[in-house]
Amino acid sequence: MKRRFANVSGMAMAVALTALLAMPAAAVDKVRIGAIYPLTGPAGSTGAELKDAITLAADIVNGKYDLDLPLARTQGLPNLKGAQVEVIFGDHQGKPDVGQAEAERMITTEKVVALMGAYHSSVTTTASIAAERHKVPFLNPESTDPKLTERGFRYFFRTTPFDDQFAENFFQFLNDVKKQKGAKISSVATVYENTNFGTGVNNAIRKNAAKYGYRLVADVAYAEKGTSAIAEVQKVKAAAPDVVMPASYTADAILYMKTFKDLNYAPQAILAMDAGYISDEFKKTLGKDGEYVLSREVWALDLAKKKPMIAKVNEIYKKRFGRDMNGNSARSFTGFLVLADAINRAGSTDPEKIREALEKYTLGGNMMIMPWDGVAFDPKTHQNTKGRGIIVQLVSGEWYTVWPFDLASRDVVWPMPAWGKR
Amino acid sequence: MASGVAAGSGFLYARNGALLAAALAYPFLFRQSFPQDLAIKIFLFGGLASAWNVLGGFAGQVSLGNAIFFGVGAYAAAVVQTQWGWTPWAGMLLGMAASAGIGALIGYPCFRLKGHYFAMATLAIGEVISTLFMNWQWVGGAVGVYIPLRDDTWKYFQFGTTKLPYYYVMLAFLVSALLLSAALLRSRMGYYFRAIREDQDAARSLGVPARRYKLAAMGISAALTSAGGSLYAQYVLFIDPHSVFPMMLSIQVVLIAILGGVGTLWGPVVGAMVLIPLSEFTRIYIGGTGSGLDLIAYGLLIIVISVIQPRGVLGFFRKAGAA
Amino acid sequence: MFSTELAQTLLSGVLMGLIFSLVAVGLTLIWGIMDIVNFAHGDFLMSGMYISYWMYALWGIDPLLSLPVSGAFLFFLGMVAYRLVIRRILGAPMLIQIFATFGIMILMRYLAFYFFKPNYRSIQQTLLSGNIDLHGVYLSIPQLAAAAGAFLTTGAVYVLIHKTRVGGALQATAEDREAAALMGINTDRMFTLAWGIGAATAGIAGSLLSTFFYIFPEVGGIFGLIAFVAVTLGGFGNVAGAFVAGILIGVVEAMAGYLYDPALKTVFVYVLFLGVLFFRPQGLLGVE
Repeated sequence: MKRRFANVSGMAMAVALTALLAMPAAAVDKVRIGAIYPLTGPAGSTGAELKDAITLAADIVNGKYDLDLPLARTQGLPNLKGAQVEVIFGDHQGKPDVGQAEAERMITTEKVVALMGAYHSSVTTTASIAAERHKVPFLNPESTDPKLTERGFRYFFRTTPFDDQFAENFFQFLNDVKKQKGAKISSVATVYENTNFGTGVNNAIRKNAAKYGYRLVADVAYAEKGTSAIAEVQKVKAAAPDVVMPASYTADAILYMKTFKDLNYAPQAILAMDAGYISDEFKKTLGKDGEYVLSREVWALDLAKKKPMIAKVNEIYKKRFGRDMNGNSARSFTGFLVLADAINRAGSTDPEKIREALEKYTLGGNMMIMPWDGVAFDPKTHQNTKGRGIIVQLVSGEWYTVWPFDLASRDVVWPMPAWGKR
Repeated sequence: MASGVAAGSGFLYARNGALLAAALAYPFLFRQSFPQDLAIKIFLFGGLASAWNVLGGFAGQVSLGNAIFFGVGAYAAAVVQTQWGWTPWAGMLLGMAASAGIGALIGYPCFRLKGHYFAMATLAIGEVISTLFMNWQWVGGAVGVYIPLRDDTWKYFQFGTTKLPYYYVMLAFLVSALLLSAALLRSRMGYYFRAIREDQDAARSLGVPARRYKLAAMGISAALTSAGGSLYAQYVLFIDPHSVFPMMLSIQVVLIAILGGVGTLWGPVVGAMVLIPLSEFTRIYIGGTGSGLDLIAYGLLIIVISVIQPRGVLGFFRKAGAA
Repeated sequence: MFSTELAQTLLSGVLMGLIFSLVAVGLTLIWGIMDIVNFAHGDFLMSGMYISYWMYALWGIDPLLSLPVSGAFLFFLGMVAYRLVIRRILGAPMLIQIFATFGIMILMRYLAFYFFKPNYRSIQQTLLSGNIDLHGVYLSIPQLAAAAGAFLTTGAVYVLIHKTRVGGALQATAEDREAAALMGINTDRMFTLAWGIGAATAGIAGSLLSTFFYIFPEVGGIFGLIAFVAVTLGGFGNVAGAFVAGILIGVVEAMAGYLYDPALKTVFVYVLFLGVLFFRPQGLLGVE
């Protein structure tokens, strides 16, 4: 109710001002962008972080900030006569059908010129279907399911690197560790939750293991939120891999680490595919028992050592919202700036022109807070080809970037110490 | 009650005609996507709850596994397109047949069980089938099925920018479920259903072949639910085991029927008209907090309904009307 | 090598199974005595876990010490649930009874969600920690302690039901409500007591579980379903049966996961459940 009232009164004021200054009609109009996120439901707290990040990004576009980011130093969108951007938030609760309904509501009722979202891969799938049908651009900054960009959609763009690239990063990292530490690594095993996310990760690892010459000695699928992980860990242990690569959500990540310890099982390294292992709860809940886990990440605060702007943006964010940015909020932040920048480059609010601008879009790695080489979309899949992941390690209660070595803030601890020697 | 019937079928025809006319005109009065989407969901869940009502309400067999048939229907519509390039309408018919068959397979051993045991067995079978689909690679396993996008077409039942076809098809789904229920209530079969519900042993001793009629109720309920699942798949265009086989769905359809009035013709519709807007509006207006307050209210509502008025919302009206 | 892993899987399965047993005992008690399926049983367990968690987080009290507190609190909560809700639906159709307890489940789960947030929590340092090494088979000490606690509590309930006067009255009520009333047993009080004891055992199980399992508002759902299976396997109302069935489920789940496919391990448990339901509805240990 309140939001609608604000919109109406805002529009009324804009109309009044227009009349007062006797300017040509339709000169100053807000550019509306829809953002669909899980604001309630199991991922509600993540949704709130993403909303904050996007709100901050919109402020940076609308106001003047001395930052090396697109549209920071100008007010509004210069190519659209300084028009302000306005973000309309929608809640999808983590449900695919709700996300699709919200996308449709945004396009037909809220009249947004472009959409972004939706964190969960499953919701991104359905919400982008609505955008594709209505011919409105949809930019996805956070979902890593490889299938999303394989659909050949014309209006769908993805800035984040996805699971194939991350899996490839794993083996590049292992090669680098072999070189640097002289470690003997030849076999890996996966243990993954058997829904969309885990299955996709497992396929990507299988593909890249073959490509990089590693043996996949076990791939153990499990159903999430089980009562025990004994059988699964036993299977992994029996295969005796050098490195274990788990893909789990938070509850299972905690359960698996505890089970590894209970069964006194320590491979050379546990190299996790983000998700549960990187969650705050994993770190808090396990304390010392979670240490030395490696995980792929998309972003880390200690990258600020090599990229000082990260600290500046984080400081503004923290001052306003009372917490640090993380890999999710940094990606949504960047995704919004790319979308707004593309609208500006299109110089139009026509969705077709915005789509063309996105296809031609390029951004340098120095103009963002991500550790990427930049942004440029593959002409066919619309996947950002310049993204890459980093690998972090949990040491003394903090995550440190340990790879790529040129961005690392700490040397990797390899192999992880045995459970008895901690 | 009695006077309502005595007022004659003329009144009922007029009332039902007015309701149908209102439903047909609705999308022209509310042109935006949100109210249309809301109505589509009410029709879908009203239809699913009516389907459950045939088995659980009329015949008194409390199934907590109706999501099985919803999922089978959704998969049938999707998989015939991705694997064989058929139209989803064929998938819908195939799904209805398959669901009726699966229903019979489930019913055959389960109908020996009474009360709680039947309910628990259907719940467990639902979990087993969901897990099997999760691991069945031919239908996409855990990843689910993406239905390929097409231009507007009735053949593949896809419409890009208008909701009207979905609206009227879902309405037709609900109306068919209601017409079928009304016919059942008046038929000999419906009479046998009620006899089985009230006292199975007595019904049997009067010569009612109880198991055969329970299987029939299961088959009708399964086929109808399956059709709803197929329509849902076409509406969303992406399905996975989590979204079409959830235990919560099985329970939600029962709740809708209870809320409106179990075993009555209009109960499931009334329940859907109360519950679906309630959850949609709390999402949009209380939403954004992630607090779970709406679900606390939901839990309280269930407790209050079961303690105070087990006959559902319609029970309140009946009471007021009788007084 | 093979035998070590098999032994490990088997033993770990037994330890987990003992916890399942304790959760199932409370459920079978309520089910057997008054023929009501309590869907909220897993959420009684969740409450016990949170009580132990908060006493640990706020005052540093070890779960083994807060165990009596959560047992007592849940005893009270169980009685309240009976008095406020269940008593009013005793004569209602089975469908309504299912939904009333289902409503209690949702209410408890999302009250926890509202107050404690969806975060995962766990207790890090307990009085007992570490593990025992038996020639390569590792047994975690918190889990051993929890299993021992579950064994003792289940034993206590068994003694209470089968060797005391109150237990006799409870059994009489379960057999025939009206006859028990005629004999001068206050059946309403017996029902209240059954709900109290049933909930208290779930609370104790929760405290024991909190020493090694993660805690979040929906954790009850995971254990609730398994408890249903154990109750059916053991025979409704059969405490000793639920005990054996709990262990059996723990072992079947672990072995099916290890020897076959972990993603399908719950299917084995459900199939076992359905098999017993169809072919031996009185339960594995039941006599009829």
